[in-house]
Amino acid sequence: MYYSEPLRRTFIIIPAFNESKSIGRVVAELLPLGCRIVVVDDGSPEELRSECEGNNQIYYIRHKVNLGQGAALQTGIDFALKQGASWFITFDADGQHSAKDIPALLAPLFMEQADIVLASRFLAKGSHNAPIIKQLILKAGRWINYLFTGLYLSDAHNGLRAMNRVAAHSIRITENRMAHATEIVAQIKSQHLRYREVGAAVLYTPYSKNKGQSSLNSLKIFFDLVLQKLFG
Amino acid sequence: MNGIQIVLITAVVLVAIYFFVRLQNSILDFLLLLAMVTAALVFIFLPDLTNAIAHRMGVGRGADLIFYLSIVIFWFVIIKLYVRIRKLEKIVTDVVRKDALNEAAREHAG
Repeated sequence: MYYSEPLRRTFIIIPAFNESKSIGRVVAELLPLGCRIVVVDDGSPEELRSECEGNNQIYYIRHKVNLGQGAALQTGIDFALKQGASWFITFDADGQHSAKDIPALLAPLFMEQADIVLASRFLAKGSHNAPIIKQLILKAGRWINYLFTGLYLSDAHNGLRAMNRVAAHSIRITENRMAHATEIVAQIKSQHLRYREVGAAVLYTPYSKNKGQSSLNSLKIFFDLVLQKLFG
Repeated sequence: MNGIQIVLITAVVLVAIYFFVRLQNSILDFLLLLAMVTAALVFIFLPDLTNAIAHRMGVGRGADLIFYLSIVIFWFVIIKLYVRIRKLEKIVTDVVRKDALNEAAREHAG
């Protein structure tokens, strides 16, 4: 296959907290791509190690205490950088992304047209089945993101991204919790990274809906952002 | 001296003793604390003084003036604490991350 060599140098980083129900399935779905998989267990009370064994394509990293998704992503990126990864993918552990979208995300990187590619559920073909309230929050999120970062993206908080080494080096996540999504966008802008949005469907299964961020959480993100802006 | 003065003075003196005993490092902290304790005691002993100052500043009562000022001070304290917490969070993150990466490196080496 044409892409098999670059895919071997691609690391998929999956931050996971208490995802023992879905992580095995997510990893199994990703394995056939031939990428390396880095599961960052963010201090789950029940270790996820057993779900990540038996294949040398999979790396398991564990935070001893729970720090938040942003911190887990940064740890995964640091690890992949050290392993000499050429390309990096961030992928949610709850099964809301599809492995099939990964080649489309990587293509602009392989062709050197972008440093970072962001998945957008709103650019995906076919309608997305997000609940109404969720859609409204995501739309508000776009504007809040725009106010804080100066970049207007169609999908403010999508966990699926792909980047090259340049981007992985220059992005440093300091927002441990969910505000990291906005932080990444801000750094795309401030580091002058070439970015692109690519459509990718988000699957709202009952499980991911349940696991995903509650609507109240978006308020928390907002306050994290305001405080960060005011006091660093 | 009336009841509230006794209560307040006792509280201020106890808090002052507690801090003076614990605080040994910074001369600036010492002076600041000394100034605050002195001010507190003066205002407790001479409540009319706060009234006079309050009238000058266009506030009806001395107690109200103190109340407004303490809101501002508490705000300041909260911000200081927030910055402190973020700093601690960063330290914890760095430590936990380093440990996680070292462990992962060891596992894949051996």
